[in-house]
Amino acid sequence: MQRRSFIQSIAGLTVVSSFIASCHRQRVIGGSVIGASAHTGHLLRDKKFAAPVSTTEHAVVIVGGGVSGLSAARHLHRQGIRDIVILDLEKEMGGNAACGKNDISGYPWGAHYVPIPNNDLTEYTDFMRECGVITSDASAPLPAYNDYYICFDPEERLYINGQWQEGLIPQFGVPAGDKAQIQQFLDKMQSFRLAKGQDGKDAFAIPLDNSSKDPAFVQLDSLTMKQWLQQQGLTSSYLQWYVNYCTRDDFGTPYDEISAWVGIHYFASRKGKGSNADHHDVLTWPEGNGWLAAHLKKELQPYFHNQALVTRILQENDRLTVDYFDVKESRLKRINAQQCILAVPQFVAGRILQDEARIQRVHQHMQYSPWMVANIRTKELTERTGPPLSWDNVLYNSPSLGYVDATHQDIRQGIHLRNLTYYRPLTDHTPVEERKAALERTHAEWVKLIVDDLEKVHANITDAIEEVNVMIWGHAMAKPLPGMIHGTIRQELAASVNNRLHFAHTDLAGNSIFEEAFYQGLSAAKKVMTHLSRTI
Amino acid sequence: MSKKENGAQWLLLTAVFVIATCGLIYELVAGTLASYLLGDSITQFSTIIGVYLFSMGIGSFLSKYFNNNLLAWFIRIELLVGLVGGFSSALLFIVFPLAASFRIILYTIVLITGVLVGLEIPLLMRILEKKVAFKELVSRVFTFDYIGALLASLIFPLLLVPHLGLIRTSLFFGILNVGVGWYLAHHFSKEIRQVVLLKTAAITLLLAQLVCFVFSESIMSYSETMTYDDNVVYATSTPYQRIVLTKNKHELRLFLNGNLQFSTADEYRYHEALVHPAFSSLNQPEQVLVLGGGDGLAVREILKYPSVKQVTLVDLDPAMTKLFSHQEILVRLNDSSLLNSKVHVHNADAFTWLRSNKILFDAIVVDFPDPSNFSIGKLYSTSFYQLLKRALRPDGIAVIQSTSPYVAPKSFWCVDTTLRSVGLHTIAYHNYVPSFGEWGYIMATPSAPHHWFSHLPSPLKFLNPTTLQLMLTFPEDMKAHQLLDINKLNNQALVKYFEEEWGKYLEH
Repeated sequence: MQRRSFIQSIAGLTVVSSFIASCHRQRVIGGSVIGASAHTGHLLRDKKFAAPVSTTEHAVVIVGGGVSGLSAARHLHRQGIRDIVILDLEKEMGGNAACGKNDISGYPWGAHYVPIPNNDLTEYTDFMRECGVITSDASAPLPAYNDYYICFDPEERLYINGQWQEGLIPQFGVPAGDKAQIQQFLDKMQSFRLAKGQDGKDAFAIPLDNSSKDPAFVQLDSLTMKQWLQQQGLTSSYLQWYVNYCTRDDFGTPYDEISAWVGIHYFASRKGKGSNADHHDVLTWPEGNGWLAAHLKKELQPYFHNQALVTRILQENDRLTVDYFDVKESRLKRINAQQCILAVPQFVAGRILQDEARIQRVHQHMQYSPWMVANIRTKELTERTGPPLSWDNVLYNSPSLGYVDATHQDIRQGIHLRNLTYYRPLTDHTPVEERKAALERTHAEWVKLIVDDLEKVHANITDAIEEVNVMIWGHAMAKPLPGMIHGTIRQELAASVNNRLHFAHTDLAGNSIFEEAFYQGLSAAKKVMTHLSRTI
Repeated sequence: MSKKENGAQWLLLTAVFVIATCGLIYELVAGTLASYLLGDSITQFSTIIGVYLFSMGIGSFLSKYFNNNLLAWFIRIELLVGLVGGFSSALLFIVFPLAASFRIILYTIVLITGVLVGLEIPLLMRILEKKVAFKELVSRVFTFDYIGALLASLIFPLLLVPHLGLIRTSLFFGILNVGVGWYLAHHFSKEIRQVVLLKTAAITLLLAQLVCFVFSESIMSYSETMTYDDNVVYATSTPYQRIVLTKNKHELRLFLNGNLQFSTADEYRYHEALVHPAFSSLNQPEQVLVLGGGDGLAVREILKYPSVKQVTLVDLDPAMTKLFSHQEILVRLNDSSLLNSKVHVHNADAFTWLRSNKILFDAIVVDFPDPSNFSIGKLYSTSFYQLLKRALRPDGIAVIQSTSPYVAPKSFWCVDTTLRSVGLHTIAYHNYVPSFGEWGYIMATPSAPHHWFSHLPSPLKFLNPTTLQLMLTFPEDMKAHQLLDINKLNNQALVKYFEEEWGKYLEH
């Protein structure tokens, strides 16, 4: 054989083999991309609506059926108010607590757990008792949590330096110097957890507006988390990865953008204690916070108007007129209301109120981060060395946040099919660019992104996956940037209008967590009660 | 240089290429197999690559002692590489059950392959040294060597492992090696003495490897047979477990996922101890629940109490209960207990079944596998025992098989601690079952009964009032000697104790 032809044939063989290998991989994985009704939602921005075809009268209209809106409605209902309408764009109420279900289990489309509640949150722990999460009486010295809802062991694992380790704080293969910095950081967080300001309040509380205004802590809101770490001399790349992971996980915001105050709040605000659980424990369900949302919804079904896009709210002398586009009937309708709660994000509120000033303020100060959440239906996956499949499974240095096993709280033996919920905040570029790119990406492209990421830890994933469904959250949550918490913008935007129109949303709370939404709704409902009783 | 000389040169360089490819493939096969069978891929791969490269060094060193008939030696080595490398993975699969010597054989194979491959390049360079200028020679030989390595490292993960599997991959390259050896012998037949012997050896090897290549499937299953001491008489994989029955002259053994469940030689010791202490303390038990125990052997003992009206058996795996309801030897073993009209078999998950259960039982027998993983660990948790307590009559008794208090005292007493933590009274006991060793059980009652062991049936082969008293005494080496965690769904303390204790025990 001649040398040249010999080398050619080697090259040929290599090409052929990789071609065959790639053919082998090109199994089409089923599923689809589900948006959070981006198309209908954008009608608000792009479409001119005709005049309403019908008008009804109601005491209270709540716009937005996320956790804030549901919490507000629940409170009003319990106060005896029955003349309520809740309008929501989606087919199901629930907002970021949305969930789905298949023959294997329920699974979350958004938030999937809540930490053990802080014991001072009376209304919230009452709610937890009502839905059977707390099994002891209110009189018990410490609440007892339902064992089936406390996250089972093994809870978390991290794939780092070629194998899985227990827990998410980097340890395996981490040099001693880095470990020392991680410990320093955790110690600092522990002292922040216990810290109180000059005003006697907790330095970091939930809802965060209950936190101390002591300048010693407030000044942390003027720099980013990364800057704060740098100031403290905490430069370990392992530590920085961990902190960045946490801020992306909870806020969809990288640590070099997020306010240091909020970043620390994440670590220092959890103080709950139960007879069988501690502040580091979490409560979770197969369908995630959809389970809690279902309990909020329990008595509210008669008030729901789904697939209703609110287009405009006008304030007339003694009432509000709420126009909405009924997607099912494709008609514009009107409600005359005495009181209204806008439980939607501010960038939507500005449009609905046709309030140019508000739109401008929001545009200047607020950013909403886009997210991708995928539910993966899969057969058994091969594993790398280390702890077995856990509830939360994270890959060090991955652009994703890893995945959560929705079947983790299942008590059955021999589970071979699972739903894994894969989370990825889209933080590489600006939200606008990421949102645009996300909406253009095809199902196959998303699947490839996911498979490429997870193949590192599950070699057989291409063959094991049965279906992948992808949800794009264009505006999942407001980014808590520096100045957001202790500046004036939230107060300005949250102020009620003419004692008739009130706001409730976690972007005004500054932190997109279940408790904030719960209390946003509660306090808006209380305002409504005050003014309703005055008018009745 | 003549045309013929030139041809010979390229043929030998092709051989270098094949050798390099084959050599690396054998190394990758060894690394992969070691990772499969021993775990911890980082350690396996790095030690194997290290040993392999080092052995190549030894080979290169030894090459200076070869002075005559270089071409014949080259071909012999080629055949030897084919022999050792080609059969390496089949051999390793077969010797795996002989756990102690596995590593020795593994590294020996890697060493031999490395030495042989290491010999070849220096030999070849010397064969060609008079035919090609030195700088050309070095350049060509190493080019082919490294290209071969690249090809091997690419096709191994992409093509070979997914499509051929490990045994066939190494055989395939063994065939290639030997094939090249044969062709070289054929081509240079005039220059080599005893060429017929070489060619015969090559053809014999080729045939042997071809046969193995075709029958590699049965090598795999032979390897499983070797995991067990005796003949495998029945083996099946269900969605839940692998069921294997083995037999020798004296006894029949059942394995689930490789763990011994019983041996006919002494299973009566286990099942008498599991059932009778609780049942003999009950006054006329009627309603009985058995969780797990799909072999029907516990039920056989239970049916010795005439007062029993109904036995509900909940076992996850229909294949298990079907096997023990229909297979002749097994039905004889359990006295047709699963076919008894008093016995109702439910193939359901015990935890979910118990969660929705509304019936109260006089006795509950819990015969689950040991808590060796997080999934089974849930069946030993406070949440499960609360359900168990709920399903017991106030004067009822539950008994739980609780692993070996000798091998795993912390695990055993953790089960006891967990049962107590949900408000049950417990009595722990143990006996000796030769197949298992010292074994432990725990009785749990909502309220302490009054007539312990007053109604023992006869005849029994192991239990009597005297052995019963002995079973209740725990010597120091079966105590935990520390405060133990309660096993909960959110800490799985028991699985951690169990892994620690049995892991240490099995290392010996």
